[in-house]
Amino acid sequence: MSGATSKLKIMLVFKEIIHRKFNFLMGLLAMITIVALVVAFYTITKATQDETRLLTRNMGFNVRIIPVASDMNQFWLQGYSDLTMSEKVVDKMIEQKSVNYSHLTATLHKRIHWRDKEIILSGISKEEREPMGSNKSKMIFAIPPGKVYLGYELAQQFNLAEGETITFFDKEFEVIKTLSEVGSEDDIRVYFDLATLQDLTNMKGRVNEVMALNCMCSTKNGDPLTELRKELAKIAPEAKVIMNSTIADARENQRKMTDKYFALLFPIILIICAIWLGSVAMGNVKDRTHEIGIMRALGFSAWKISSLFLQRAIVIGVVGSVLGFALGTLVSMNLGPKIFNVTMVAVDPVFNLLYLAVLLGPLFAVLASMLPIVWAVNQDSAKLLNEH
Amino acid sequence: MISIQKITKSYTAGQNQVTALDSIDLTIAISEFVLVKGESGSGKSTLLFVLGGMLKPSSGGIVVNKRDLFSLSEKERAIYRAKEIGFVFQSYHLLPYLNAMDNILLLNKLDNIAISKEEVILIAEELGIKDRLYHKPSELSAGEKQRVALVRAMITKPSIILADEPTGNLDEKNTVEVLHYLKKFQDNGGTVVMVTHGNLADSYATRTVNLHKGKIKNKS
Repeated sequence: MSGATSKLKIMLVFKEIIHRKFNFLMGLLAMITIVALVVAFYTITKATQDETRLLTRNMGFNVRIIPVASDMNQFWLQGYSDLTMSEKVVDKMIEQKSVNYSHLTATLHKRIHWRDKEIILSGISKEEREPMGSNKSKMIFAIPPGKVYLGYELAQQFNLAEGETITFFDKEFEVIKTLSEVGSEDDIRVYFDLATLQDLTNMKGRVNEVMALNCMCSTKNGDPLTELRKELAKIAPEAKVIMNSTIADARENQRKMTDKYFALLFPIILIICAIWLGSVAMGNVKDRTHEIGIMRALGFSAWKISSLFLQRAIVIGVVGSVLGFALGTLVSMNLGPKIFNVTMVAVDPVFNLLYLAVLLGPLFAVLASMLPIVWAVNQDSAKLLNEH
Repeated sequence: MISIQKITKSYTAGQNQVTALDSIDLTIAISEFVLVKGESGSGKSTLLFVLGGMLKPSSGGIVVNKRDLFSLSEKERAIYRAKEIGFVFQSYHLLPYLNAMDNILLLNKLDNIAISKEEVILIAEELGIKDRLYHKPSELSAGEKQRVALVRAMITKPSIILADEPTGNLDEKNTVEVLHYLKKFQDNGGTVVMVTHGNLADSYATRTVNLHKGKIKNKS
């Protein structure tokens, strides 16, 4: 096709659109509606999921990996396992890919008698390891060597402030932070860098727990804990997994619920808008039967006439997708937080949806218009001309 | 040459079977100007649409320039219309949203047809509508619209013009002008088949075919 012919074809489509503005606007409205609804629903769903992720993350790690031989009664009573394992278990864990989890943090805990009180020393690895090198914001603080963070109760009981120096195992440490009250055993905890505590307690390379956050993405059998236990038994038989299912279940249920709503609403929206768009296309085709007759008389083939209608549908699809994306994003950003109580995260535009909409929108518009177009080009052209 | 062999065209209207053309035999030589006359419903327009390959006869065959029209595929018949036929209708059949020039250049969308604006202007000048080319049909008079339709029909240099009451909506002056251009087309070797009610075209025609209830009553 020559450039001049293409230009003429486009000119023809646009002049017809301007001539039948109302019909075009109705088609555009249908397209904008479907894209805006899908975009708004997806964007808000994503924001609520992000918020839940953040909320559950703030509630703490939900996966704890401890030595396999740990006495669970002792573990629950003491709050950590007496036994230790090699910290290399973290390396082994980041290699398994069947369950999605993040923020792997190796820790070592030890209960000691200090200034006539029972306290807990906790060493925390400097870095949180992520599977496949993914980069996520840190859930827990990193403590420099030679420094400590002090639990709220300890700071109160011993009247210790930031900047003061305290001694453990004959070594001096500067208190760089006194923590707020959290209402748990963490209030009587002193936090060290992991390597420092390993040195102090002669437990180099040993940890008694790896904390992690499991994303609770559905696994093949629907039970990520079983999956994780199975995988871990293969790669690190020296460890076992405990999961806080209250946090995990809430998160999983929320995800399932939004997925269910989307799965239910999406086909309904799709069908309603397809019928709407198809009716608009039928209206356009019926308006243009005379034109179809003229074109047939001039020697236009059925395909050439169809292509004009298809191009019109593509224009509706592209323009409607772009405007629908903009509207859906605007609605979700402005009304989403009010309607869905999204408070902790910003509702951000999901630009991947724009690319997807611009690709799939025209295809949807073409499919919805197909039936009227086929009907139109199969009409008796002599009859169409005689009717006028 | 157009050879119509025992063409019958019937269709169902409600519960009735209507025979629009009833076993018609007709031969039209190259460069003839044939008038087709008859009362309403006699099958004149049906004959024209069958000749244009737009309406498939129920039986019989049409051979145009040694080709059996209805043994061609739909696409080939579209090409036949684009290249060999020029249609002119009583109600002009121009696209309302295109100006006169674009209505004519619309043919460029067809394969292997390349009409330049200069060619359009040349013929439009001859037909006296050069200054009206950039007006939409709604801004043109009946005579101007029909002349635009004539330019559109003639610009691809077809061998046959099929005209369905092209002067039906025109005053006498415009009627004579349209007939003059059709005659000129015939003089240049083209074939004209024109459906008409009136008698103004009689003097331009080489032959008149009278249709009555789908049959040829007499050929003169």
